[in-house]
Order: sequence, then C-alpha cells, then structure tokens
Amino acid sequence: MPDIISRHRPLALLAGLILLQVLLLAFQVKREHDVRLVRYWAVQLLTPGERAGTWSFSKVSGIWSGYVGLRDTRNENQRLKTEVEQLRMRNRELESRAAEGQRLAVLMNFREAHPEAPMIAAQVIGASADPTSHILFINRGDRDRIRRNLPVISPDGVIGKIVEVFPSSAQVLLINDKESGVGALFAGTRTHGVVKGSADSNPHMEYIQNDEKVQPGQSILTSGEDRIFPKDIPIGTVESAAPGNPFQVIRVRPAARLDRLEEVLVLMSQQQLAPNKPEEASSAFSSPQNRQMRASQAAPTSAAGQKTPNRKPAVIVDAIKAKPPASGAGAPQTEPRDNPPATAPNSPAPQQ
Amino acid sequence: MLSTGAHSDSNIEVHRYYSGTVLIVAFLSLVLQAFLHKYGRWAELLDLPLLVTIYFGVSRRNPVTGMFLGAAIGLLQDAVGHAYPIGMYGIAKTCVGYVASSVGARIDTEHPVSRFGLVFLLFHFHQALLAIIQRALLNHSAPFFTLQLLLDSLVSAALAVILFALLDRLRRSS
Repeated sequence: MPDIISRHRPLALLAGLILLQVLLLAFQVKREHDVRLVRYWAVQLLTPGERAGTWSFSKVSGIWSGYVGLRDTRNENQRLKTEVEQLRMRNRELESRAAEGQRLAVLMNFREAHPEAPMIAAQVIGASADPTSHILFINRGDRDRIRRNLPVISPDGVIGKIVEVFPSSAQVLLINDKESGVGALFAGTRTHGVVKGSADSNPHMEYIQNDEKVQPGQSILTSGEDRIFPKDIPIGTVESAAPGNPFQVIRVRPAARLDRLEEVLVLMSQQQLAPNKPEEASSAFSSPQNRQMRASQAAPTSAAGQKTPNRKPAVIVDAIKAKPPASGAGAPQTEPRDNPPATAPNSPAPQQ
Repeated sequence: MLSTGAHSDSNIEVHRYYSGTVLIVAFLSLVLQAFLHKYGRWAELLDLPLLVTIYFGVSRRNPVTGMFLGAAIGLLQDAVGHAYPIGMYGIAKTCVGYVASSVGARIDTEHPVSRFGLVFLLFHFHQALLAIIQRALLNHSAPFFTLQLLLDSLVSAALAVILFALLDRLRRSS
C-alpha cells in the first residue's frame, strides 16, 4: 500500500486534497455551520487590494472625466451659449408678439364695441425728431382716406389729431404738444375748458375759474366743441390743481399712455361713440383693466346685442400692417367708402 | 516555494518565475475578479482565477504544485464569495490545476491555438466539476452546458491567449 502511494504520489495528494475539501463542504452543509474564520481572513487578505483598486480606478476615472473628457467641453459650451442666445432672442420675439397681440385684441374689441363709429386702426411708425414737439407718424395716409383734423384715439382715451397727411402716412399731433388744444369738460360738474399742451410732458386744463372746485383724480372728457373730437371721450384725470391768475393751473394726467403708443385708432367721423353699458353714460370707454379683461373674453357684443366672433389678433396685425393697394382699392376700415368723414378735413379747430 | 520551478519527467521545458510572482499574480487575479464584478455583469464572463490556475499549471508542469495552487485560489475564491460553502471552487480548481499540470507536461502549450483549445476544454471541465459538486453535495440543480457557458468559455479562451502572452513576460530567463 505505501508503495502504491509513493508511486502515485501526485494522485494520492490530489485524492487527499479533494477529500479534505469534501469533508469541509460536508461539515458546512451538515451542520449548517459557516467557517466564518476562513472567510474573515480571506476578506482581510483581499480587501486592501480591492480598496487600492477602487481608489486607483476612481483616480484614473477622475483624471479622465476631469481632464481628458473635457476636451470637447469648450466647444460644447460655446455651442450651448450660442443656442441660449438664439433661444433668448426667440423668446423676446415671441414675448413681443404676444404683447402686440394683446394690444391689438384690445383695439379690436374696442372697434367692435363701437360699430356706429367708423374708425381705422393704424400702427405708429415713428415720432418727431424734435424733442420739444409731441408728434407721431402712423402708417395710414391719403390712400386710406385719412384727412387732416381727424381724431386719433386709443381704447384708453384721446391721443391727438391728424395734422399732416401723406400718401401712405400721416402726422399725429398729440394732446400734450404745446400747439395742441382739445375742447374738454369735467365729467362730474360738466364745467367746460380747454386741455392744452404745455412745455412739460403733461397737458393743462385751462380757462377754469378759481372758484371752481377741482379735485385731483377728477375725470376730464372731450366736450365736442372743437368739432374734431366726439363728445365724452376720456382725455385724462386731474393730477393737480392750484389757483392761478386769472384761471386755475390744472395739470392733467392723460388717459392714454402717450409715451408708449404702438397702435392707434383714427376716427373717420366726429360721430359720438355710444356707451358700452347704460351705467357708463359718462363715457364710452371703460377702464384699462376692464378692457384687458374684455380682451381676454371670448366674443364681444355688438351694438345689436349679438355675439360676434372674436377675431384673432394676427388678423388685426395684418389689417394694420397691410398697405392698401391704391386709393381706389378697399381699405380695411369700417366706414363705407362712399361716405365721407363727417368732419370737414380742413375745418379749423376753435382752440388750436 | 511556488515560484521555484520543478523539472518534469519529460524533455519539455519547465518555466521559472521570479520569487513571489505566482502568489502576486494569483492574489491580483482574485482582487481583480472581485473588483470587476462591481462594474457590470460582463465581468461574470471572465474567471481570472481559473485562467491563472491553468497558466501556472501548464507552465510549471508539476501536478502537485498545480493542484495546491488551484486549491489555494479556489478556497480563497470560495471564501470571499458567500453564494456557496467553502470548498466548491477549491475542489474544482484543485482538479483543474492537476489536469493542467499533467497536460502541460505532455504537450506543447506555448502556441496560442493550443492555449485557446486547452483553456476552452478546461473551462468546461471546471464547469462540469462545479455542476457535479453542486448536484452531489449541495443538492443544487446546476447545468453542465448552456449557450451562455459556451460563450463564456470562448471569451475566456480568447482572453487567455492575451493574458498568457502577458504572463509569459514574467518568466525568468534561463
């Protein structure tokens, strides 16, 4: 027997080694007893190596991602910056369009709320180069049958009147220009006066006696006496009032934002605008807030009381921006072409 | 010492390694195997300790050294894993080490093709032993052969050709 073992020593060792491990396995399986000590020392032996491997790997991957991987980051950053700029420009453009749409919706609602008054929408295309004069240019002119002295308003109130007409544009004299004058009255007391432009940016109400009680915030409307502006259109409110010689000095805050005009309405006649509601007898205009709300509503009510579909602002944009083909062609206005403006084009205003 | 070579009975050359090479490489194979498992299931395709067992078995051409190296690597592999009781990989790798050393003493295992074939066969031999042990001793149903095992064996054999060529550089010049 020993001879056989020594002759086949490797095989015997193999058998012995396997037998030992089988016994070890059997011990663990039979007793359900894990040899924790062996595992403990094995883990203790291998863990430092694994820790070193993990550390090395994280360093290498850190170098890769921090330096080598950043090779294209500069280009990517540049590309993203360009993209952000483009998106910002696009965003500004869209915001501008949205604001324009809101303004045009207000104009459209106003126009549809007053079908009795022929009016034409116009876009403000420029202003006077003279800082002391308050003049605007609009994109409507002789081809659109714009005439001198036609009133220019906005849904907020009076803006001014046409003073010069060119083939495809016209000049608007704002009510705060020192050459301007509008027949006016106080909404409450119906006391008449004249709103005239002044050296400062705000117009003044003149010819009001010192004994007349005037309070700041009091509404001022057109009186219609100038034969240019229809009656009862808001001009503004009293900002301040002080006794003067011989009349009170009354500063007026214009109802319309004269410094932020982009679209206006040119009234093609002096026909008085009907009030929207019975309780708004003093004015055909509502507050800006109400108009904003009305603009967001679905469909305005026509004079006949029927709901008219709310046109998209884009249609109004087209209507304003579109140039009429020629004097003979139809212009986008509510007044019939055969019906001339009620106000004589060259009739002088009494207070101008 | 594991790092000192022993002459086989045949005329086939027995390779010698610098002191500690076998231990360090075996240790690194275990560490790397455990480490690679953290980075995805693709690491399961590889059994680096098996490849190291085969390599040093066929290089040293001494069945006793081969079986002890296989037993040590296998037992450590068992110990650091908790899926099976200690001894399963130990028995399988003991046998693989013995067979690899015996084969290495009889045929030329320097050529890449013979290395590929040898690793491919020993991989399945190792797998078959594991399946037998699991079935016989642990009452687990382990497969002898699957397509996944075939893929694993092909990948391991291909990797072994590269790894063996790298490990050849650790030989001490005679």
